[in-house]
Amino acid sequence: MDFEFIRVHTEPPIAVVTLDRPKVLNALSPALVEEVTTALGQLDQDASIRAVVLTGGPKVFAAGADIGDMAERTPIEQLQRDQTGRWLKLTSFTKPLIAAVNGYALGGGCEMALMCDLIIAGDSARFGQPEINLGIIAGAGGTQRWTRTAGKYIAMEVNLTGRPITAWRAYQLGLVNRVVPAEVTIEVAKQVARQIATRAPIAARLAKESVNQALETPLSEGLAVERKNFYFLFATEDQKEGMKAFLEKRPAEFKGR
Amino acid sequence: MSVLDVSLENGVQWLRLNRPESMNAVNAELRAALAAAVRDAERSPEVRVVVVTGSGRAFCSGADVREFASREGAVEAISGEYERILTGLRTMPKPVIAALNGVAAGIGASIAMACDLRYATPEAALVEAFVKIGLTPDGGATWFLPRFIGTAKAFEIMYTGDPLPAADAERFGLYNRVVPADSLEETVRDLAQALARGPAMALAAAKRSVNFSVNSTFEEALDFEFMLQGVQMQGQDFKEGVTAFLEKRKPEFKGE
Repeated sequence: MDFEFIRVHTEPPIAVVTLDRPKVLNALSPALVEEVTTALGQLDQDASIRAVVLTGGPKVFAAGADIGDMAERTPIEQLQRDQTGRWLKLTSFTKPLIAAVNGYALGGGCEMALMCDLIIAGDSARFGQPEINLGIIAGAGGTQRWTRTAGKYIAMEVNLTGRPITAWRAYQLGLVNRVVPAEVTIEVAKQVARQIATRAPIAARLAKESVNQALETPLSEGLAVERKNFYFLFATEDQKEGMKAFLEKRPAEFKGR
Repeated sequence: MSVLDVSLENGVQWLRLNRPESMNAVNAELRAALAAAVRDAERSPEVRVVVVTGSGRAFCSGADVREFASREGAVEAISGEYERILTGLRTMPKPVIAALNGVAAGIGASIAMACDLRYATPEAALVEAFVKIGLTPDGGATWFLPRFIGTAKAFEIMYTGDPLPAADAERFGLYNRVVPADSLEETVRDLAQALARGPAMALAAAKRSVNFSVNSTFEEALDFEFMLQGVQMQGQDFKEGVTAFLEKRKPEFKGE
């Protein structure tokens, strides 16, 4: 399928989805977000793809939503088109999703990065929720995911002051997995994706699901989900192959079955 | 006459503080001009190297006391601009040289220390005299000085306000070299122009790695360096550098 605002490049076992509206710093219009969710939906169905990198390219991840599109909206219009609710589809992607962030990830751009499973940041990266400067607040998870990841006080700082933080600070706060030279951010993210792609796909899917459960449930429920997923994996061919390969001291070949 | 004389010469952007009547004290006008000039130097592809120096007998005598004596809450108003100047000099991906033609005091000392390299005349003492007017060192001085000269010496000059003579600053490694006053500009010009002809991306990468290392563990720094090295190895300058080495000639770098 052809996309207007993004580029999708598959090189099995991984794929790279690139936000591609450089003239407007990858502003996240509803149409662009729709394309991202459509592309991820397709990649989720594609058995040859085991991990995906989401990036804005070498200069900027995404500097927020389309302000021009929102300036004159009424609350009812916003509710009816449910601009930010549609983003939730992003989180239903079942495969590992790695954000490669260079330059600004602001507002919706930051929220989109926070929806990913890992974040590789270039040394140029800046993360922030500047919505408050426009008289609104974050609407696609900015008040919730910052709090769950970096804690209440950092979430308050970012959401109340609107000031972005540097890649290095984000790394210290545990928001970012690695800070790398901006020239290689996408390449490093692809390396991580390829590494994950060598792991058993069903195990990766259930690991992702289990970790995400930790943010949704009390510990006892989360542990129960983890245990069930753990036992379930003994039903897969990949578990047999993985343990056999380990005992035979050879690399495992996982088939996603 | 502008309070900041800005001129581009063979890829070298000279920023000359130009309020000699007040020993280049930084007032609001000079502060704004410096912030803008640092930003422009960072952005302009024609600028390969930046030199900061002063007119007259001082490099910079610090913030203009006459100006802030009369203002309440002045710190909030000025700290953002100073932050842009100091962070800009320290992190812009090109070499930045301080040519200390005379004393560097207070914020002037901080500007000097935010540069990558410092060349000085024998008269160019470094002064942290805040204590003499009941203030505490700022502009990053308490971050820079322990790193350059150790905490004991840093406390000594901050507590007493006594000047650190140029010869001592050179001995401690805070200044790269002290040269006679009449050859300072030539020394710095030769170096700056040589750097401007150098492999710009590789120089920028060295600066990025050094700045990265300040926050990182050894392992993180090692990782960052190797990744940047991978980028350099894709560049034309590396190809030219190796070819020239094998052909036993001087390389001609293009900064790409």
